[in-house]
Amino acid sequence: MLEFLDSPRVLHGIYILGSLTLFFIGLYGLLAKRHLLKALIGIAVMELSVYLLFIALATSPGETAPILADGLIDFTGMADPIPQALTLTAIVIGMAVLALGVSLAIQYHRLTGNSDMRAMTELKDS
Amino acid sequence: MAFQLTPVWFIALPLLVAFAAPLWVRLGLLMSMLFATPLVLFGLAVSLFPAVGDAPLLETIVIAPPLGIHLHLDSASLLMVALFNLAGVLFASFLWLGDTEPHLRGRGPFVLILLLITGCTGLVLTGDLFNLYVFLEIAGVSAYALSALRRDKTALEAGLKYLIIGSVAAIFILLAIVLLYLETGQLNLAALARDFGDIPAAMQGLIGLLLLVGLGVKAELFPFNVWVPDIYRGSDPAVTSLFSGILVKAFLFVLFHLVFLLLADPAVARAWLMALGALTMLVAELVALRQQDMRRMLAYSSLGQVGLITLALGFASEATTAGALFHMVNHTLVKMLLFFVAALMLRRFLSLRLADLRGVGHAMPVATALFVLGSLAVLGLPPLSGFVSKLCILKGFAEAQAFWPIALILLAALIEAGYYFRWIKVFYDSDPAAPQCRSDDGPAYLPLVLIAGLLLLLGVAPFLIEDWFVQAARALLGRGTILESVLGVQS
Repeated sequence: MLEFLDSPRVLHGIYILGSLTLFFIGLYGLLAKRHLLKALIGIAVMELSVYLLFIALATSPGETAPILADGLIDFTGMADPIPQALTLTAIVIGMAVLALGVSLAIQYHRLTGNSDMRAMTELKDS
Repeated sequence: MAFQLTPVWFIALPLLVAFAAPLWVRLGLLMSMLFATPLVLFGLAVSLFPAVGDAPLLETIVIAPPLGIHLHLDSASLLMVALFNLAGVLFASFLWLGDTEPHLRGRGPFVLILLLITGCTGLVLTGDLFNLYVFLEIAGVSAYALSALRRDKTALEAGLKYLIIGSVAAIFILLAIVLLYLETGQLNLAALARDFGDIPAAMQGLIGLLLLVGLGVKAELFPFNVWVPDIYRGSDPAVTSLFSGILVKAFLFVLFHLVFLLLADPAVARAWLMALGALTMLVAELVALRQQDMRRMLAYSSLGQVGLITLALGFASEATTAGALFHMVNHTLVKMLLFFVAALMLRRFLSLRLADLRGVGHAMPVATALFVLGSLAVLGLPPLSGFVSKLCILKGFAEAQAFWPIALILLAALIEAGYYFRWIKVFYDSDPAAPQCRSDDGPAYLPLVLIAGLLLLLGVAPFLIEDWFVQAARALLGRGTILESVLGVQS
């Protein structure tokens, strides 16, 4: 009954819709929320949606992990390993940036008692 | 094993030196290593110049392109690498000799400064799109951390704002890279350049737009640059000189490298890029007129120059491109000089507001004289190098019969004169309340005087390195040569 989900077109369409929705949720969080940590979470969600899009569209249903073992001796029917390697790298980078951002936000909050992005006006020219 | 001078040293050496930081602390060599590393690499870059003029150097890592990762060193990227390392030398000597604030002299800033230089060098050297993203984040993260280095309210605010806007820009660039890979199955820049024409037009437009937004934020183009003056205002002036001198130049180079490489005919994007450049220039110069803080004024002035460079590079003729590369070098030197002066003034007066700097010319005669020299170089007055590079750009436009950019550039220079002379007039105002004591930070002026000397030298004798710029422009515009050198025989 649900075989139609196995066709790459339908599956990829669903993934595209899902990751775009995630992307815009993240963008909304970044633009509409005033709390510093919420803005950082928005950025993280946007990043995740890009990873999801990349992994999902680079793989078709029925492909296995690109590892030669257990009788698999040929590179047929395997997923493209490059997107997965790249996504792993990107996740590590994104994680580091997020950690730096959160630590700066915590220090800023300790120093000023403020976590509202719109109250960050120290740098404006009066 | 023979020791070979290959391009990978430009990235490997600063990384190794940065990670060995605890060792340098123990040996008491921290500042000398920060000074020596870029100096060695600058020497290496200059010594590689004749070899690169014949054919670009390719450094292949593990497998040959298009499958493997490779570094691509041609005249244009070598010019940028030499510029970044020269800026690194000047910055390190300013920190070393200038007895600067302790938060700029420890182990943390040492690592971050070297990583920033590594990231920017990697950005211009890499021949692979995903490595571009990695280097972009290396440069980005070190820049965020550097701008928050002072750990007070303004510095943390600047660091947070920079981090948020920079990460969003990086996401746009990552999305563009993902779409490019899904469409072509390639990450190598030359292979992408070959296959880019086969992507459907709508997808080409989307990828181009994402790249333009992402790199536009990073390279501080209008309308994506509203955040820049805030960051420049909150960071240390010395650190800001690195942002304006190195980081922006690296991203401008990447933007135009991608434009010239991916588009078979750069004329498609010419109107858009030139319009962006002209808008950036005019808006920034107009807003700079009414700034009350020196760092914000210098930030807007920097944006104006970035706009000018974009305008000249966007036109994509050989003469304007060479002029724009020359202007990049000039602008790096000038902005480092001006921000160093700002750092010295901030240390003496604890404020950089126009009203607080009245009569500074009597208290700090040397610094103010250097500021005047720097502003004359920005304006492009004859004995200084700014004149030569602006003349190159204007001549390039005139040869191609394009006259509206010339009018705009001259108008922008006029506005620039307006606000620089406003500040200079205040500096030389006689004010009985101004402190008359002599300054005692003599050695701190050494790098500043060196920059001033370089500006004069390049202004009087541009023929010393003019060939290099023409060669670099040819390399930057020579799409066929790049494809051929990377992929073997191609059309």
